[in-house]
Amino acid sequence: MTVKVRFFARFRELLGTDIVIDAPKGKVLSELIKDIAKKNKEGFDAIFDEHGTFREFVILMRNGKRVEIGDAAKVTVVDGDEIAVFPPVAGG
Amino acid sequence: MFSERERERYKRQMMLFGDEGQEKLKNAEIFIAGAGGLGSPVSIYLAVAGVGTLTLVDKDVVEQTNLNRQILHYDRDIGRKKTASAEEKLREVNPDITVRVIDTTIDETNVDNLVGKADGIVDAMDNFPTRYVLNDAAIRKKIPLFHGAIRGLYGQATTIIPEKTACLRCIFPNPPPKEVFPVVGVTPGFIGMVQVTEMLKYLLGSGELLTNRLFIWDGMTAHAEEITVARNPVCVSCGKKKVQVRKKK
Repeated sequence: MTVKVRFFARFRELLGTDIVIDAPKGKVLSELIKDIAKKNKEGFDAIFDEHGTFREFVILMRNGKRVEIGDAAKVTVVDGDEIAVFPPVAGG
Repeated sequence: MFSERERERYKRQMMLFGDEGQEKLKNAEIFIAGAGGLGSPVSIYLAVAGVGTLTLVDKDVVEQTNLNRQILHYDRDIGRKKTASAEEKLREVNPDITVRVIDTTIDETNVDNLVGKADGIVDAMDNFPTRYVLNDAAIRKKIPLFHGAIRGLYGQATTIIPEKTACLRCIFPNPPPKEVFPVVGVTPGFIGMVQVTEMLKYLLGSGELLTNRLFIWDGMTAHAEEITVARNPVCVSCGKKKVQVRKKK
């Protein structure tokens, strides 16, 4: 099944965006993002801490709806899902 | 009532808003937190639109490194207080409005007094801790908050109507790490214009606001996105447990 992952802002600079993944059935959201982020250590470290847990400011959306980062290991992705991963920007 | 000069000044937009709309803008008071990258374009465009009273708060002095984006301040202002520089420019931009400036740091102890009876609060800050202070004050005082933030060529904006829409902490429960952020002036210019457009619509009571929606701009790819956001029932700022009333000094 096909899932699209979109990174924004700093995450996009480090990992690219609009990444289309052929994910196995039953794949959970947190593992999906980890698999993609592993290709760039700086990108991985921007999103996950040293324990492989989402950094607390990371925002996850699935098909335009918020997924709490604490629930990402329980949410299974399905064919056609569009996932957005972004950090808030803080400058002004 | 408008003077002849005001009628001429606002002629082209009164074609859109009418006397009644322009009067609403004239009677409005907007609180602008920050006279930097976002605060500069926001205050200039509120001033030229004829928003009657602008209160601008900032604690910093103008530095050379500010000048690539903080368009209220000129080379000659380096070393001056941003509030003094801003007041001078805004009065020249539109002598028919009232400009108040306050040279202080916004914190939990003074925010309620600083905001006063404003009709709207503009988030033109450069850090999340102060944004949360503004957010909580907006909720306590039931005043709309117009959020904007930028980094590099990325920006985000949303409009918060207390008790009705997601607040800043519903959307961003945790701040990103502190940093010296890269920025080019066009990004706060762009996001500032989203904030001002929102404020004008709010004051005029027209159009559709950017509520429960997070607008995300990527200038590098020229893509604008929108993400639906919702109130968090257990939000520490606007959830059932009300925001604690701060002690006033």
